[in-house]
Amino acid sequence: MIALRIGLAALFLMLAVTVQTSVLTNIAVAGVTCDLTLIVVIALALSRGPEWGAIAGFVGGLLMDVVPPADHTAGRWALSLAIAGYVAGLIRREKSSGPVGPLGVALTVVLGTAISFFIYSATGSLLHDPSVDWGEFGVRLGIAAGYDVVGAIVVIPLVMWIMGRVQPARERRVAP
Amino acid sequence: MLKDLGTPAKGLVRATGMPRQIRRRRTVLVLVILACFTLIVLDARRSAGSPVEPLREAAAGVFGPLESTASSARQPVDNLRDRFAEMDRLKAENEKLKKDNENLTEELTTSDYARNRAQELDKLLKIAPAYTMTPARVIGIGGAQTFSHTVTIDAGTADGVHTDMTVLNGTGLVGRVVRTTAGTATVLLIGDRNSTVGGRLNSTLALGFVSGRGDVAGTLDYKLVDPKARPKVGDRIVTWGSSGNAPYVPGVPIGVVTSVTPNEGSLGSTATIKPDVDPTRIDTVGVVTGPPARPPRAQITGKGN
Repeated sequence: MIALRIGLAALFLMLAVTVQTSVLTNIAVAGVTCDLTLIVVIALALSRGPEWGAIAGFVGGLLMDVVPPADHTAGRWALSLAIAGYVAGLIRREKSSGPVGPLGVALTVVLGTAISFFIYSATGSLLHDPSVDWGEFGVRLGIAAGYDVVGAIVVIPLVMWIMGRVQPARERRVAP
Repeated sequence: MLKDLGTPAKGLVRATGMPRQIRRRRTVLVLVILACFTLIVLDARRSAGSPVEPLREAAAGVFGPLESTASSARQPVDNLRDRFAEMDRLKAENEKLKKDNENLTEELTTSDYARNRAQELDKLLKIAPAYTMTPARVIGIGGAQTFSHTVTIDAGTADGVHTDMTVLNGTGLVGRVVRTTAGTATVLLIGDRNSTVGGRLNSTLALGFVSGRGDVAGTLDYKLVDPKARPKVGDRIVTWGSSGNAPYVPGVPIGVVTSVTPNEGSLGSTATIKPDVDPTRIDTVGVVTGPPARPPRAQITGKGN
């Protein structure tokens, strides 16, 4: 069961990275694409908790760091998404008495977008990457957050439902 | 939420009293963050040859074909985008015409896609006699969240593409190759803040440097070497070429001057350039893989006066 879950999570992350880099960029809003990888990480964190969020975030971010056309220092997205995933997992645990509501999910996505984008930009500044432009940060964060919520409406229920199907019976009894 | 993130020192002292779950969770977080920092430190020293490079190669090997396949699914997405753009225009027309129009435009955009690609290849062919080129398709684009303007193309070292080669399309300069694997290459677009291209004013042949501004439209800044020379609005700029034709070959159109502002606190002026190539609409490109065909030059022997 655990192997199946890990395999499914890896499959989701790979799909997300591929679709994000080659399909979603064609319907970008002002250049900003939907962070599909982040959404999948948050969905995994919400269904499995902070450890899963952190590890899924690390793997997903690492993929975004090394899959072309990435040309920045590797590890920046990995760090951003790992922390965003961990925080999303904590939110799930706080509300463990019941499933997180739609508004909670939307807020988690906005928070995750803000955390990951801020850490990505901040590490870029620390490494003296000339391409980081803080003047554009606010606008791009706003668009990204809105776009991510739209994407999350489709993706998060799907991922959480599939992950819920492969949950062991004893956990399923406790969770809802 | 915050009580779980207590300081490490406290955590160590209380470690025995803490529930096992929280301890495990924190260990995972700390390990992951350490792994990230290790990666960043290892990869930040670009000059020494990064140990992350094999990982990038492997990722490109796996994801290159995946991205290629996924971009074949682009046509419906492109059609969707075109449909959205046409909505406003169609609103004014009456119901029946609208319906007919929609059917027609759907047909049109479908065939347009194929026709546009053929046209782009045609344009490339027109430049081809001058340079040996390898055609390639864009299969991945970086989002604005990454701040960098890079794209992946589906040609790599197996097709003779190497780093520091010029990439152009039928309308002008696209960028240069910065990273290659066997089947893919990463192209740094001229609109990136890390990009600088030598540019020559078409009208006066004055030399200058074109650097990216990092915005979505790919707007460029142009600074002339000679502070007294002033570019005019409407002037065209072409590359002046690098030695050995790498990374830029000469004579490729870059863009048009749209405005000129005097530099504050120093001599000279900076021109804003609208690039010939729309960075959001790059599809078929050519990589210059060979030197330009040089016309035969005979030596001139003069007898003097």
